[in-house]
Amino acid sequence: MRAAFALTIAIVVAAFWTARAQDRGGGGGRIEPAPRLVDGTPNLGRVPGEKGVWDVPYIQNMGMRIPGRDGKTAAERGATAESGRGGSKAEPDVPFLPWARAIYDYNSRNNSKYDPEGYCLPPGGPRLMATPYPMEIIQQPDHKRVLMIFEGATHIWREIYMDGRPHPHGDELNPTYLGHSVGRWERDALVVDVVGFNENSWLDYYGHPHTDLLHVVERFTRPNKATLHYEALIDDPGAYSRPWTVAWNIPWKADGELTEYICQENNKYLQKLTDDFGQPLFAPR
Amino acid sequence: MRTTLLAAAVTISLVLAVVPVAAHHSFSAEFDAAKPFKLTGVVTKIEWQNPHTFFYLDITDDQTKKVTNWAFEMGSPNGLMRNGWTRNTLKVGDVVSVEGSLARDGSPYGNARTVILTSTGKRLFAASSQTENP
Repeated sequence: MRAAFALTIAIVVAAFWTARAQDRGGGGGRIEPAPRLVDGTPNLGRVPGEKGVWDVPYIQNMGMRIPGRDGKTAAERGATAESGRGGSKAEPDVPFLPWARAIYDYNSRNNSKYDPEGYCLPPGGPRLMATPYPMEIIQQPDHKRVLMIFEGATHIWREIYMDGRPHPHGDELNPTYLGHSVGRWERDALVVDVVGFNENSWLDYYGHPHTDLLHVVERFTRPNKATLHYEALIDDPGAYSRPWTVAWNIPWKADGELTEYICQENNKYLQKLTDDFGQPLFAPR
Repeated sequence: MRTTLLAAAVTISLVLAVVPVAAHHSFSAEFDAAKPFKLTGVVTKIEWQNPHTFFYLDITDDQTKKVTNWAFEMGSPNGLMRNGWTRNTLKVGDVVSVEGSLARDGSPYGNARTVILTSTGKRLFAASSQTENP
């Protein structure tokens, strides 16, 4: 009797772990290892001859994506985005400076009405990996660079310099939406150091602010073919009293390809513009 | 004459009120997830465009029989195509049902989450920007 009970438990546990493993691996249950380039570097993109894109999830609130002591984020413990709309009080793990707290609470109260990305301006920093349109990572070791191309987020790309160059200093560093990215491999992790952000973007849809002191350290790993694990250290002494880390997984969509998405199309201001004959210049046709 | 002008002005402002104000925007600033709806009507117009496709329905009030033209926002054309749409899935004159969230401002405007084609019963996800991924 006791043996039968133990066997039942063993079967249940085995089934649970199998299910968990399938969740992680995706693609019908068989977990394929992450592909590698000829030189052994992890391949964070497509295998030649195959399709595939990273199906970037919609992460609305990075305050819910801070790994706790058990390694799990609030989102992984079952919290929903909606339960996070409590302003800074609901996010004790985000080390707001007072002004950043006030701005964040304001953005919470008006439901992100003034979200720059809501007006088709690009995301800055980790929000690139939280804007729900597919993206691709293209490694060009011969050119000592990695390219990331994003269908969404205003159809943008970023170039990560892998040639060992430092960030520009002083006024040589021109503040931009995506900042200046230099990368290196640490074992199987692509580590990208980014500085030089302008202040025109938010960290996420919920409206965590940042300043031009923002310094982001990103870690991209591919634990298996179907999963990209993303971690970002957010180090902005202008807005937060200490660095904080956010993390989530990005699933691989094996049959996916990028398509066109032009956020700026339905720009109401452009649609009011008329030509020399009084005809609308950019009205939808 | 003055009455006619006034009536015309009122009509025009009602028509204008139907046109969504924002192009791309924060979902929760514009729509209220706590105000779900299911409405059925006749397609009058489709705007297959970025960043959001819109379609418009003439919807008759069951009691008053008054017809109101409603606007509904969906996702971008590429998001819709990934969910089985083409730009000809909806045609003017089609009868469809829509489920989604109403505009906060009380205007006849909503964010469509699902569209059901009455002729075939087919349900299509409208690539709404409402929900966060797990």
